[in-house]
Amino acid sequence: MKLDVNALGTFYRMAREGAGLAAGRLTHMTDVETRAGVTKLNFMRGREIRRDFEDSTSKVGVRVELTGAIEGYSVIVFERENALRIVESLLEESATDTDTESELSGEAGELDEFNEMTRSAATEVGNIMNNGFIDGWADVLETVIDVSTPEFVEGRSADTFFDEVEKAPAGDDLALLFQSQIETVETQVGFSHYLFPERESMAALLDRLRTSGGIEYDKLDGFDRMAERGAEEVAKTATTLTGIDTSVEIRRLNFVSLETIPEQVPDERLVGVAFEFDGVPSGYLLFLFDEESANEIVDAMVPTGAGDTEETEGFGQMGQSAIQELGNIMASGFLDGWANVLDTTIDHSTPEFIHDIGAAAVDPVVIQLGEDQEFAFVFDTVIVAAGREFDCEVYAIPDESDLERALNDLDVDRIEEEPTTAEFQNVTGTGTDGGAGTGTDTDTDT
Amino acid sequence: MKTYGTEPGAPTSVQVGISELTVSDGDDTLKSYGLGSCVAIALYDPETEIGGLAHTMLPDGDEAENSDRKPGKYADTAIRALLRRMVERGASYTTVEAKLAGGSDMFEFDSFGDGVGKRNIDAAKAELEKLGVPLVASDLGGDRGRTVEFTPETGTLLVKSSDENGNQGVTEL
Repeated sequence: MKLDVNALGTFYRMAREGAGLAAGRLTHMTDVETRAGVTKLNFMRGREIRRDFEDSTSKVGVRVELTGAIEGYSVIVFERENALRIVESLLEESATDTDTESELSGEAGELDEFNEMTRSAATEVGNIMNNGFIDGWADVLETVIDVSTPEFVEGRSADTFFDEVEKAPAGDDLALLFQSQIETVETQVGFSHYLFPERESMAALLDRLRTSGGIEYDKLDGFDRMAERGAEEVAKTATTLTGIDTSVEIRRLNFVSLETIPEQVPDERLVGVAFEFDGVPSGYLLFLFDEESANEIVDAMVPTGAGDTEETEGFGQMGQSAIQELGNIMASGFLDGWANVLDTTIDHSTPEFIHDIGAAAVDPVVIQLGEDQEFAFVFDTVIVAAGREFDCEVYAIPDESDLERALNDLDVDRIEEEPTTAEFQNVTGTGTDGGAGTGTDTDTDT
Repeated sequence: MKTYGTEPGAPTSVQVGISELTVSDGDDTLKSYGLGSCVAIALYDPETEIGGLAHTMLPDGDEAENSDRKPGKYADTAIRALLRRMVERGASYTTVEAKLAGGSDMFEFDSFGDGVGKRNIDAAKAELEKLGVPLVASDLGGDRGRTVEFTPETGTLLVKSSDENGNQGVTEL
């Protein structure tokens, strides 16, 4: 099975189109204004998909099996609470429509369990959503996809949702997953949509859609290892440098349309460090912290009393230097992780500090890449610390053609267990005293 | 971000996501969040109170294959699409005026050349000039992000941004 950017782009448009149709139908049904949120193609290991579900919230899903042009499963997943709210508003709606006094809505207002009626209403909603997505794909592919009768699933763990799914991705399998969010504008009710295509049917589709030689699907394994190594290195260097015990919380490989990247970034003021990197692949790397985490980091890195950051809202020279230095060393770690997997060298620029609204920090990068490409693989990583504020979102966005080249050159069998050796390059003109350039990751002399 | 379905009558606030454009009238507000090097293009006709906002990310749509599918992505095609949709709604081409905001250059990467924000600003200005649409106000360049809010009724473009210390500033164009 081989894939290329054109084929993935078509998939992306399918998912986007489907989300639009589904959102429109939800509006039609509930009279509530909806919007299609971020759509992503993820490449995820089976075990990570399962972990996604294990966030202790109860969920309900509506699952259908697909046959025809795409074979696999399409699942709409709501948080249980949200499903109840949607059903509630639906039942209220129909109660008003038929002018039957609010017996139903009175009942619905206190919904906390699914009974036969609400369960069938929820299944109906899920089914209409599923069909919206599937019609969207069928439109883009100009083909027919058959859909089974919907199944209502309720539970807390992934097993409930996947156990009966034939050929559900096993722990180590890298599955292609379609994810879309639909949000209602006022009531904050959203849901996720997952499509698990079967491998053979996906291979056939990819063959049809591909316009270039493409990349062997198995080489994506290399992608995943790059992401894994990079993320581990970042957490390790962050821990060494700040003394805060950090770990990798989320690690995902997304394929998205470039302009959705800024939409994904929290709509608040963030503190970040940006780099361009050069080699095969080249691209951009951003570390973004929320303000609280950034303050925590500055406190951990700058000796108390020496920093000029405590009294002010912003980050003083010392604070900026500390964040830049941390960013610089994390960048070296991350890119060394990649370089080791790819058996190459990747250089990076000096860090650029930013303290601004999140989307504004990302759009310059998206614009620069947008000159030559419409889509991007984004290596999405979140690093957190137990019990402390340390939320760091890492966005690595490589240039597409470079990445394809790097992957095609990659010998999957060769991916080894070589130790990573971080070599920190000299930083100049960043306002630090050159502390990041001395080749030891315990050097925190800001 | 595209929304589906609106309540009739009440003024609505529409979010114009990156690469999107929206035309409206009256006291609706059109908002774009977190513009960095992107450029917000607001066109309005003071006589009919019809206006539109585009959140453009690239300069040149004529060179791109997908500009017919995504006119709002490029400065040149966005301006033409806004004008066309406004005229279809009843605006008069000859009285339309323009306001621009955005186009910052927050990073000095080698690969960025003269600056990605600057390229967008130049393209938007050139297209307005080509079409004879007067640019009546602008808040462009620099190295800070901006959030804009546009009301077609008054033609007011509010530009919010913050300095490095987090102090918010609002400019009314």
